[in-house]
Amino acid sequence: MTPRWIALPVAAVITVAVVLGVQLARGGGTYEPLRPPSACADRTVDSRAEGLDGLTERLVLLGLADAACSLGVSREELTLQLAQQGPITDHQVDSLRSGLLAAVGEMKRDGSLPQASDLMDDALANAGLNRYLERAIRTLPDRVVDSAVQVDDVLRRAIGSLDLRATLGALDDPNELNRQVEGVVTQAVKDSLVDRIKGLLPGL
Amino acid sequence: MVLADSAVVTLALPDILAHLDTTVGWVAWVLIAYNIVLGLAAVPAAMLLRHPRARPQVLTGVGIAVFAAASAACAAAGTIEILLAARCAQALGGALALVGCLVLLVAEQGERRGLSTWITAGVVGTATGPVLGGLLTEAISWQAIFVVQVPFAVLAVPAALQVRHFTHPRSPAPADGREGDGEVITDSLHHRPAIRANLTQALLSAALTAALFLLVLLLVQGWRHSPATAALTVSVVPIAALAAAPVARLFRTPHHVEVAVGCFLVAGGLAGLAVPPSSNLVWTVAPQALIGLGLGLTVDRLTTMAMEARLPQATHAGWTIAARHLGVVVGLAILTPIFTADLADAEDPAQEAITALVLDAPLRPETKIEVAQALGAELASQDGQVPDLSRAFDRLRVAPDEQAATDRLERALTDQLERAATRAFRDSFLVGAALALLALVATLTHPRSPARKPATTDVTHPRSPARKPATADVTHPRSPAQRPATADGREGDGESPDSLDPERST
Repeated sequence: MTPRWIALPVAAVITVAVVLGVQLARGGGTYEPLRPPSACADRTVDSRAEGLDGLTERLVLLGLADAACSLGVSREELTLQLAQQGPITDHQVDSLRSGLLAAVGEMKRDGSLPQASDLMDDALANAGLNRYLERAIRTLPDRVVDSAVQVDDVLRRAIGSLDLRATLGALDDPNELNRQVEGVVTQAVKDSLVDRIKGLLPGL
Repeated sequence: MVLADSAVVTLALPDILAHLDTTVGWVAWVLIAYNIVLGLAAVPAAMLLRHPRARPQVLTGVGIAVFAAASAACAAAGTIEILLAARCAQALGGALALVGCLVLLVAEQGERRGLSTWITAGVVGTATGPVLGGLLTEAISWQAIFVVQVPFAVLAVPAALQVRHFTHPRSPAPADGREGDGEVITDSLHHRPAIRANLTQALLSAALTAALFLLVLLLVQGWRHSPATAALTVSVVPIAALAAAPVARLFRTPHHVEVAVGCFLVAGGLAGLAVPPSSNLVWTVAPQALIGLGLGLTVDRLTTMAMEARLPQATHAGWTIAARHLGVVVGLAILTPIFTADLADAEDPAQEAITALVLDAPLRPETKIEVAQALGAELASQDGQVPDLSRAFDRLRVAPDEQAATDRLERALTDQLERAATRAFRDSFLVGAALALLALVATLTHPRSPARKPATTDVTHPRSPARKPATADVTHPRSPAQRPATADGREGDGESPDSLDPERST
């Protein structure tokens, strides 16, 4: 005859199995921090902002992912590395520049890059131009503006000439950041326009 | 109080850390120092108490008084060094008080009842320490934990001194009716310590450290609950421990099976704490109930196994106290580096998860930058502890149309931190479970002695020489290993007190 005490170990085994079984079935083994997806995976980048801010945000997020992919780290790891005040390597700077340039190409291909006329209001509001000149520019038809200023060309020029180390160093200072970016973008627009005009007038 | 003090400060450690402006490494010694000193002082205290000229009432009173004075010193400590010194003094007095109380309880109530009362007080003290500490810390302050003990200890001093009828046990009178030789048997009879029972107890104490120490850290530091909430949560353990005795009686289980089942339940409970499906407190209830049942099934039974039918009883009480508290120290020594390293390792995944959520949050870029800056400042000020993100979000000024998204982001980020903290404690809980399984193995490998002989020497209770004690049958010197039967007639632990040696004095 089975002794009565056998029931205790049997009950203990069943109880422990039930407790662990329920916990594991409800996700107990996987209650861990979110693992960011691979930086090389396709991702959709949205922005709540419009105009220049929205363009900049999408560009930066795509550029970061591309740079992280080429560096073999996650987008989040690269973001944290760049945000910290430690030294930034040439390889990181080069990868980031390549990533931003690749992002411009990607946005142009998928049609998400806006036309210059879509960005004109924002650009003029921040440009600090003479109000007569600003009014004169606003009278130009969108078609003329879009034809004169190619956004992808301006962005490539701006990214190419941007001092990324200085820009990353100014992340905590929005005014300094704006000053750096506006200076580079303004120069890029001028250079782009000059080159367009030169292209239209081959003899010059 | 002395046993509760082993873990009573666990929930107060964060407050002590802040108040005494010290480091995590130093504050851990508030626990470690007490358990080391108590573990090391228990056997010498027992030897002192059973000295023929010793007056256990006085020594016990002195021990309690030292404990009370040191408790007051703990409360008044203004630096970590003074607190640690006071904790060491507390443990020294506690060791004398603890063993002395056993001696006096046996003298007052007889061996069986006195031992039972002493063991029950030990289980209740061990299980309720964190609960009491958490409630007092939340309601008043960490100093209250120590202040509250002073009046109780002061009242216990005269109670100890009032035990009037104490005499050291003496060898029994010969069968021919002549008077005994009057030799104090504590000097002439000496059983070897119950190594397996004490080893099992040490391993189990190390495992229970994970439940009593790490769980409260997870609740307070990882999941950011208040000490009072944590205290109420861990009260499941003592409640379940109280339910263990009726369960064992119901099944009439042999002692070694009862201990083995207890070890298994503790291991299962710790494994359950390692894999909660979320940070909801409900998920800690069932694992804690398993641990509490295991605690109730093992601690008193192991203590009985380690002391029953062994002389001198006070010395064996010392050994079992030493095993229990040095087990706690071993548990802390094994588990603390594991969980602190895992906590440090959890920082990078947690930061990456937080970064991913902020980058992809449905917020305007300028809001994201503000959130990132606030979080960065909060993370930088945490000094290796789990950050409190609510302070970062409280500082933000967010546009009304983004408030709902910001609140969702805060909840998501807090969830990530709780996930990271839970993951950081997982390995420690699993190591604790492994220690409990080791204790189970130690229990199952008890040697079984096929032969059982009736006892040849009866050691009678000192107050009533004619009365035969329930469990104090002592085997004859040089007799083969035997398994003494316990008071309720069930099998003993298989470890015979076979080293009875009248010529040897400890």
